[in-house]
Amino acid sequence: MAIELLKMRWSNAINEVIIGATKQDGGSRSSVVKVGGQMSLPYLSDEGNIPNPPVIAHEIWDVAPADWPEALKEPFSSVLGKPVEWAKKCVKEFKAELLCLRLMGAHSDYGDNSPEKEAQVVKDILKAVDKPLIIIGCGDNEKDNLVLPKCAEAAKGERCLFGNAIQDNYKTLTVACLADGHSIIAESPIDINIAKQLNILISDMGLSAERIVINPTIGALGYGLEYAYSIMERGRLSALNGDKMLAMPYICFVGYEAWRAKEAKASEKEFPAWGKEKERGIAWEMVTSTALLQAGADILVMRHPQAIQEVQKTINQLTGK
Amino acid sequence: MKFKVKFLPDNKEIEVEKGKSILAAAISAGLHINSSCGGDGVCGRCKVILKKGEVNTQPTGRISAEERKQGYYLACLTTVESDLVVEVPVESKVDLEKVNDEDEFASRLKGIYAEPEEVEEIDIIASRELFSHSPLATKIYLELPQPDLDDKISDLERINRAIREVKDIPIMQMGLSNVRNLGKLLRSSDWKVTVTLGKRNDTIEIVLIEPSDTSERNFGFAFDIGTTTISAQLINLNTKKVLGTKATFNKQATFGSDIITRIIFAQEKDGLERLHHAVIDGMNSMIEELVHENQVDLNDVTCCLCAGNTTMIHLLLKVDPSFIRREPYVPTANFVPVIRASEAGIKINPRGLLACVPGVSGYVGGDITAGILASGISETEDLSILIDIGTNGEIVLGNKDWMISCAASAGPAFEGSGVVCGMRATKGAIQRFTINPKDLKVSYSTIGATPPVGICGSGYIDIVSELLKTNIIDKNGKINTNLRDSRIRQGEFGREFVLVDKKDTGHKQDIVITEMDLDNLKRAKAAIFSATSSMLKHLKLSFDDVKKIYIAGGFGTYLDIEKAVSIGLLPDLKREKFSFIGNSSLSGARAILLSIDAFGKADEIAKKTTYFELSVEPGYMDEYVAALFFPHTDTERFPSQVK
Repeated sequence: MAIELLKMRWSNAINEVIIGATKQDGGSRSSVVKVGGQMSLPYLSDEGNIPNPPVIAHEIWDVAPADWPEALKEPFSSVLGKPVEWAKKCVKEFKAELLCLRLMGAHSDYGDNSPEKEAQVVKDILKAVDKPLIIIGCGDNEKDNLVLPKCAEAAKGERCLFGNAIQDNYKTLTVACLADGHSIIAESPIDINIAKQLNILISDMGLSAERIVINPTIGALGYGLEYAYSIMERGRLSALNGDKMLAMPYICFVGYEAWRAKEAKASEKEFPAWGKEKERGIAWEMVTSTALLQAGADILVMRHPQAIQEVQKTINQLTGK
Repeated sequence: MKFKVKFLPDNKEIEVEKGKSILAAAISAGLHINSSCGGDGVCGRCKVILKKGEVNTQPTGRISAEERKQGYYLACLTTVESDLVVEVPVESKVDLEKVNDEDEFASRLKGIYAEPEEVEEIDIIASRELFSHSPLATKIYLELPQPDLDDKISDLERINRAIREVKDIPIMQMGLSNVRNLGKLLRSSDWKVTVTLGKRNDTIEIVLIEPSDTSERNFGFAFDIGTTTISAQLINLNTKKVLGTKATFNKQATFGSDIITRIIFAQEKDGLERLHHAVIDGMNSMIEELVHENQVDLNDVTCCLCAGNTTMIHLLLKVDPSFIRREPYVPTANFVPVIRASEAGIKINPRGLLACVPGVSGYVGGDITAGILASGISETEDLSILIDIGTNGEIVLGNKDWMISCAASAGPAFEGSGVVCGMRATKGAIQRFTINPKDLKVSYSTIGATPPVGICGSGYIDIVSELLKTNIIDKNGKINTNLRDSRIRQGEFGREFVLVDKKDTGHKQDIVITEMDLDNLKRAKAAIFSATSSMLKHLKLSFDDVKKIYIAGGFGTYLDIEKAVSIGLLPDLKREKFSFIGNSSLSGARAILLSIDAFGKADEIAKKTTYFELSVEPGYMDEYVAALFFPHTDTERFPSQVK
């Protein structure tokens, strides 16, 4: 007798968020990236439609990242400190479909660049490459509130994804995204309630829920990955069960977390038994990423091209491409 | 070495040891200075102005630079190092003024206590219909047959026989002093006496024997002993009539505004003694005044019935409360035997009785038992909830078959503590507040219709609701800085919104609400709401199953239900399900005073009610965090609030 598999039927779909705008939509991108839209848990396409596979955004910096380990700097050695070149390299050489620009140079520890200078970087990159862009502030609330609106203005019409809005500082960025037609990343500290609250606060200001992406905050393997995993899963279950204020795609900053791990950074001299530094970091980024794919990540912001390549393979396998 | 400290404007002077704190000196001088934290330098309520002399003080963030220039110090952190002259500013004083006249009572204490009419209403449920009229102490006039050679039973047997002719009482007790006086008394009063029978636990005691007929004059007191306020009611036990109601502050507040601080204080030298006296003094002065005003002879007051939280009852009886604080939180007594009032220091008839309403646990006391009784939830099939909003928010869920209760530490924000401009519901407290959505102009009313000096609980509910409605704050309780309004500013404790400009206030200081206050209020409402929802969840029930919700305590009849729902303090249910029952503890105490049956019922309630320990409930923390949002993270739970 044939066994009939029990199928879960969900009542609500995750919102589809479009990053980037082609000429037709008033922008200048050659393609757009769509995330979300699914009505099932990850890769269970028998249970519900999954229109868009997860995507990887290549992380680039406006300034040379001082604290990146050598193994991570190496593939970019010729373009560090040259954001336009870096962007081009990712698109041409590493076939990036989506870029994530981190404006670290605005931070007082990294040069304290002016908002105007950062806006120019954004403009230059948009001119040099035609792939959609995610733009992230330096993490200093006050400075970001000065820099990000300028950058949003500079990228007007390009339907970028801007981050990160947090519970104590979301208004300025929301206003900027509203004014210039961008979407927003809402960051919460591995807390499903705050994630939802922040989505409510942002949509209360008039930015529709369809333009919000959740950054649930993650930990790398060995650094709280399981907390992130369970929070993401819980949020997704609520969303599929009808909670509209959690029905947003997830963005996970894997590169940032994985390359902070001791296992990714420590030298071979220090821990000979751990093997080559170069391989460790890549492996850490890969493993963290693949776990988060299972948890429901829609956008992975990654750093090392080799890790990106391998994770893309996994995505292709999981989605049957 | 000793120094003299003079306190202005009262001109009270006291001599104290060098190095003693100004707060301690003030207490010794009989002055009541605000001190919510019990002298830990945390609350910043005990500000005084040094006019003359040398002091030693510790650094504190509670005194602004401006105030420091003006000579402000925190009384608790500042020690006496020479003869001093110290001014106690108005805002630091505990207003101990009692409420005398009925109108004044009604207008001033509406925020806390129900008006007499409303109390009467509850009385209908509690005692008139359900319980027989059988007061804790009853008087019977007896005309005894004189003994002769045919009827020569003893005096004591004679009086017992006469009582049994009118009442079916198998066992009676009598104290030795009554026996000693009996022979002379019966003969000198020509065998015409009035006996007072009192219920003492499971037996009946002949409390008192008096010459002639005094049976018309039998009075009792019902007390609600709250952490913040003590209320008293003088009742004619024969007619059930309430002759007068009074409320006064619990002077224990000087030693800390919450229960835990007081339990800690009780451990200090003379601490228990002082706490005990503080409450007894308050009760005795109210007894004196009520008796005097109603021309009742103190000797005709035969019993007192007290409802209070477990700690208050311990302190009333001078029983060490320290074990309530320590795991597993066991009080010395939940069921306190009926004792003689004079043993506790209460001045009524020296042989009069004192009974306390039994409690459920260390954190759910007799005030809640009385509340259950008064609300009538123990008598109906309908699933009901009783929410007593206070520093310790107590919640009872159940019906006539079962009841479960829990205590949620909401914090004192709704009682006006732990919030920058908070105050108790006394003269000058803002209790109603509205903001015009068009021009953001505010209007408000204060208790006693005097210029505002602070905000009480019901005022805060209104304020938060109105700030949300006008988008001055977001649902997280953060002030909207994008709003160009000069009333939004950076204050000493972070961002704040000026509610009333200093030119319009009674103490000539701005009345503000800070983001920190909003946080405290958010936590308080979240604690109450999540405790209620956790308890329901635990029993696999939902708010929709609940037929009636009774709100008691804290703000009684002045709670604006719409606004309380809009901030998420109360669930979003049909408004007709809510009833305000004011001070349910006091009405319950009165019902018990008037009926032995009600007393039995209270015993049964206390025994039957299960205590639900929230701190070990797995889902509680989650519920609590989800409730830390206005009105709630799950907006679908508040459908009426969705714009």
